[in-house]
Amino acid sequence: MSIPSIEPAGFVPFVAPTVAPQAAAATAPTGGAGFGDLVADSLDRLEGLQDRTDQLAVSAATGDLDDIHDYTIAATEASVATQMTVAVRNKAIEAFTEIMRMPIG
Amino acid sequence: MGAFDLLRIAGSGLGMHQTWLDTLGHNLANINTIRSTDEDAFQAQMVIAEADPEGGVRVGGLAFTDPEGMLVHDPNHPLADEEGYVRAPAVDMAGTLTQLVMAQRGYQASVQTTKVAQDSYQSAIQIGAR
Repeated sequence: MSIPSIEPAGFVPFVAPTVAPQAAAATAPTGGAGFGDLVADSLDRLEGLQDRTDQLAVSAATGDLDDIHDYTIAATEASVATQMTVAVRNKAIEAFTEIMRMPIG
Repeated sequence: MGAFDLLRIAGSGLGMHQTWLDTLGHNLANINTIRSTDEDAFQAQMVIAEADPEGGVRVGGLAFTDPEGMLVHDPNHPLADEEGYVRAPAVDMAGTLTQLVMAQRGYQASVQTTKVAQDSYQSAIQIGAR
């Protein structure tokens, strides 16, 4: 997933990623990061977000939290990231079951 | 830079406005801080906000008002000099209270931005959902 950063000069319009023609035509399994690795990576990042939220929750409980919004924003980010990961997982399972339902022979 | 930039940008706005609110509260709390004329008057804090090139806003530093303050004639004050003057801070209460409302509204606007950000991201997740 690549999202263009905001440049100091101002807003950079979204540029749709271009797909290499060879990648589009390829039917044989390609090397590199597979879907599983991608999901594992995003799970790792999600764990990091949730760890940070947990730490902030602890500091809120112990009275060490300086900025309330630090915790609420971290919690929101972790929640949205979790929903996104679950959405991706559901899509993957959906695709898998679709293939499993395919009649053969 | 990540997928949730708008949330972080709104968070930076919250941080800057919180600092602004803190300084305004500090200035108002010290509005009656009187010093003797041979000392500096209470110096009100002013937040210097600057745009973050990575997106968002940050506190660039604090500016302080004139240490001269205002000379007030109050001969009965224990800190008064021979001529009966004390040094009061040059803090404009009406202006500070106006800024307090502005800072509060800015903080609320940033909170609204976080809500919009969360709603938008949730809409994006719903794409293609059955």
